[in-house]
Amino acid sequence: MARILKYVLTVLLLAEALPVLFATVTGSGEQDFARMRSVMVRDQIVARGVTHRATLQAMRTVERHLFVEPSLRSRAYDDNPLPIGYGQTISQPFIVAYMTSLLGLRPEHRVLEIGTGSGYQAAILSRIVDSVYTMEIVRELAASAKKRLQDLGYHNVEVVPGDGYYGLPGKAPFHAIVVTAAAEHIPPPLIEQLDEGGKMIIPVGSQFMVQNLILVEKKKGRITTTNLMPVRFVPFTREEKR
Amino acid sequence: MKRRLAISIGLLSCSMVAFQVALMQILSICQWNHFAYMVISVAMLGFGASGTALAFLKKYMIPKIGTNLAILMIFTSLSIMGILFLSRTVFGGFDSYLVFYEKRHYLNLVFSYIMLFVPFFLGASAIGLAYCYYASDIGRLYFADLAGSGIGGLLMLLLLWHVSPSAVPFVIACLPLAAGLLLFPQGSKTVAEKTGLLTLVLLALVLLVAGLLNPPRLPSSQYKSLPRTLLLPDARVMETINSPYGELKRVSAPALRYAPGLSLSYSGQVPVTEVLFHNGDWLGPLVPMALPEREEAVVLSALPGTPDQEDAPESHDGTETGHYLDYSTQALPYVMGTPGKVFVADAATGLLAGHALSRGVKEIIAVEPNSAVVGMVTGNIDVPGERVSFITGHSRYHVQQADRYDLILLPENGSFGGSSGILALEEQYLFTLDAFSLLWDRLSPGGMIAATLWMDYPPRSTLKLLATMAVTAESKGVENPADHIVAVRSWSTITCVLAKNKVSANNIDKIRAFCHSRQFDPLLYPGIRPEEREVYNMLQDESFFRSTDLLLKGERETLFREYDFQIRPATDSRPYFSQFLKLGRLSKIREVFGSASMPFLEVGYLIVLLTMAQIFLASFLFIVLPLIFRKVPGKGKAGLLVFFSVIGIGYMFAEMVFIQQFTLFFGSPLYAASAVLSAMLFFSGIGSACSQKLVTGSVRLRLVAGVIAVLLALLALCLPALMRAAMGSPLPVKVLLCAMVIGPPAFLMGMMFPSAIRAIRQVSDGSLIPWAWAVNGSFSVISTALAAVISVEAGYQTVMLVAVAAYLLAGISTRFRLFSIFVK
Repeated sequence: MARILKYVLTVLLLAEALPVLFATVTGSGEQDFARMRSVMVRDQIVARGVTHRATLQAMRTVERHLFVEPSLRSRAYDDNPLPIGYGQTISQPFIVAYMTSLLGLRPEHRVLEIGTGSGYQAAILSRIVDSVYTMEIVRELAASAKKRLQDLGYHNVEVVPGDGYYGLPGKAPFHAIVVTAAAEHIPPPLIEQLDEGGKMIIPVGSQFMVQNLILVEKKKGRITTTNLMPVRFVPFTREEKR
Repeated sequence: MKRRLAISIGLLSCSMVAFQVALMQILSICQWNHFAYMVISVAMLGFGASGTALAFLKKYMIPKIGTNLAILMIFTSLSIMGILFLSRTVFGGFDSYLVFYEKRHYLNLVFSYIMLFVPFFLGASAIGLAYCYYASDIGRLYFADLAGSGIGGLLMLLLLWHVSPSAVPFVIACLPLAAGLLLFPQGSKTVAEKTGLLTLVLLALVLLVAGLLNPPRLPSSQYKSLPRTLLLPDARVMETINSPYGELKRVSAPALRYAPGLSLSYSGQVPVTEVLFHNGDWLGPLVPMALPEREEAVVLSALPGTPDQEDAPESHDGTETGHYLDYSTQALPYVMGTPGKVFVADAATGLLAGHALSRGVKEIIAVEPNSAVVGMVTGNIDVPGERVSFITGHSRYHVQQADRYDLILLPENGSFGGSSGILALEEQYLFTLDAFSLLWDRLSPGGMIAATLWMDYPPRSTLKLLATMAVTAESKGVENPADHIVAVRSWSTITCVLAKNKVSANNIDKIRAFCHSRQFDPLLYPGIRPEEREVYNMLQDESFFRSTDLLLKGERETLFREYDFQIRPATDSRPYFSQFLKLGRLSKIREVFGSASMPFLEVGYLIVLLTMAQIFLASFLFIVLPLIFRKVPGKGKAGLLVFFSVIGIGYMFAEMVFIQQFTLFFGSPLYAASAVLSAMLFFSGIGSACSQKLVTGSVRLRLVAGVIAVLLALLALCLPALMRAAMGSPLPVKVLLCAMVIGPPAFLMGMMFPSAIRAIRQVSDGSLIPWAWAVNGSFSVISTALAAVISVEAGYQTVMLVAVAAYLLAGISTRFRLFSIFVK
């Protein structure tokens, strides 16, 4: 009787284990990431008011988990930034989407990014526009981002190692410039290389929390900035109480 | 033996305090601030836990006391060195920036805490064991303990000038090693013991030599400015200077440029400069100082009311000199006038002094408290001595030395992107109401005080600064502060100016023109219209402007109370300008920003709270819990519990207050910690040595407690005034004054513990001593972090008053039965 019970239990266990094994071998992990990505777009981005279709489509297709360390892949679609080493992070998904949507990009636009980091932002941009130029001053990050983007097939992204202060005058003007590298001033050459009607976006804050975004716009030669808060905090004031 | 033991105890105690100070320095470099309270609490935890351990193990250790004492001391030396060899894990295993973000960092913080605890536990066990066995000689031993501790603090002040922070612990490790060796011949009786001890000594010597010849590199958070800067191409450290002020590095990199909040209309070059870093944090750029090419070019907007105002050449704003700071909001004071005499407080690398020079200012006094910084600046850029006095000193003292100033410039506050509140517990004595009051009094009739901040969101620092200016003006008899305050905003910085005179219509026109040409927006000037505030730099909502107006309309108290962040002006008693967290609003902040992001708003204060919780738990686990399961012999333990706990609280609270107050006095937290620890421990040691003769009964013990309470209360009232008067004294005089102020109460405080220990011996066989040691240690541990929290919430005077109450309670507890047996 005991022997029969043992055989039955073994069969049942195998019946459970084999499908799991099969699924693992055939890459159901990838389906998990796709699902996580879809949930990310729905719950973190659309739910917060980002409606730019091209941005949403890009966020759905770019495999964010391939831009982080393998040990952090299970957290790649969390609502957080993640460290990528060298004192840098891959930005929170919502911030990436929000910044991208603010630029109002069209396929024919040319975009410059200062601060490649992991290359994720550049990959997102590359799904919307024809050409993306991204500059990274940390050599190791530039090299790893370049390889990653090439391996993943983002052929319309050109990674340029070097100091982004002077931008890329040879490729200017740019319809949009994304400055993710922390800089307490906006280099004058970048302002010059921004096209008429163009937009520049600068996240301000710590590596792990973007406090606000500075949207720089050039219209009829006039430069203005708008301070945008991805998260609105309304402090209590007496007038509001009234 | 007893004499050798006393010397050993002295050496060991010296190493314990010296290692505490060394850890503060190391943590400043590797992490974000000196974590002084955490270091002291780890030390106290070690002391307390050793008492608990001795309660269980004393009977096993007493028979071979000599050998065991030597072993404990040698292991103390080994553990100090071991921590440095494991520095990557101990100091670099956690990032205080990420403690709330990733569990791994929190667990590593706990691990680091445990590792740091080990040498203090071992050292304290040796001291405690000596006390248990030689309790009859407690006075001499306690004196040696405290005298050694006193010397330890002063030793560090000397060592840190000459030895790198990573090598200092190895020098310190020589002390407990020597202490163990002193007892060596007495301790070893068998061949096995001798061999064992010899092996330990040889191991210690090998590690010592290895550590001194090739000290381990201290890890640094990858998110600090220096490590990130060193990743830039061709970045190099050109020079390093170590001092008690910290580690100073001069770095060169072709990509290093600094132009805070530069105007978007600037089309020139931002110069590449070398940069100084202090303890891994950005200090400032080394921008060459240059006299203006043509003096008349800068005399474009004279001070209001001066004759040549009408003769000024036409210019739309009058600020072009070629210095790139003319295109930052920091040029605002020069729009409003051409000051003849400028004071630059906490000048750092002299950037603001250089800008003032380019503006044609004839006399500039730039004061910087860190002499190493002054040396590095004057050694690397030409400072025109005929116009600029770049000196080492205390800004709040030096500003009082000259007659009057036309312009006082405060150092830049905050950083680009914010500091996530990591500076919440950093004392900023130039941004308190007391400081502003002093600065106002040093202004000439048309003088101004100017400060530039990085904008933060949600708005906090600007509101706090404006509140400080408004309250200062009102306290000086100004009817309407809004007539005296100007503020201009770029896309990232705000410069605020507090003027002694009402801002004139002429100046308002100049400010408008300046803003227009630079694409800045005025935030405040008399009569400003709402539409003027957002022409070039739009904000997403108007709450910032509403809050600003409320501050100046006299509805300030309502705003202070109801705003979700702490924006009430800082004072010398609560000098935490960058502390904005209101504990009661944590849930709202978490709801809005999410649990992941919320800590990055105010991580500095949250770490204090986290560490306090950790300390409570650790002291309960390591000290109290084991003793709960052990039957404590004797009667009348309640009195004992109360007595030893409150003297632990009182002593540590007083110590923390002294460290804070003397930080302002010395201008450096490390100097203050060293001087205060040394003075307190040294005089307490003398007190303990005298206690046997002076404290002969409970009445006298009660009297001592009462006098301590009175002295501390007097110091709470008088110490700030006393220090203000002596602020400018030379360092040796300051150290002497510190000793004179702290000496009397410390002397009396040193009597309390050994007197009570003698009382215990009279009623028991000494088995209560570990309990007493443990209780005292436990409450001392908790007190360090608790003092930090109370000081933030209620100010340091409150902390001192709690210390007063503690000693009064100690006096009352001597009425318990235990002490009634305490007779001659």
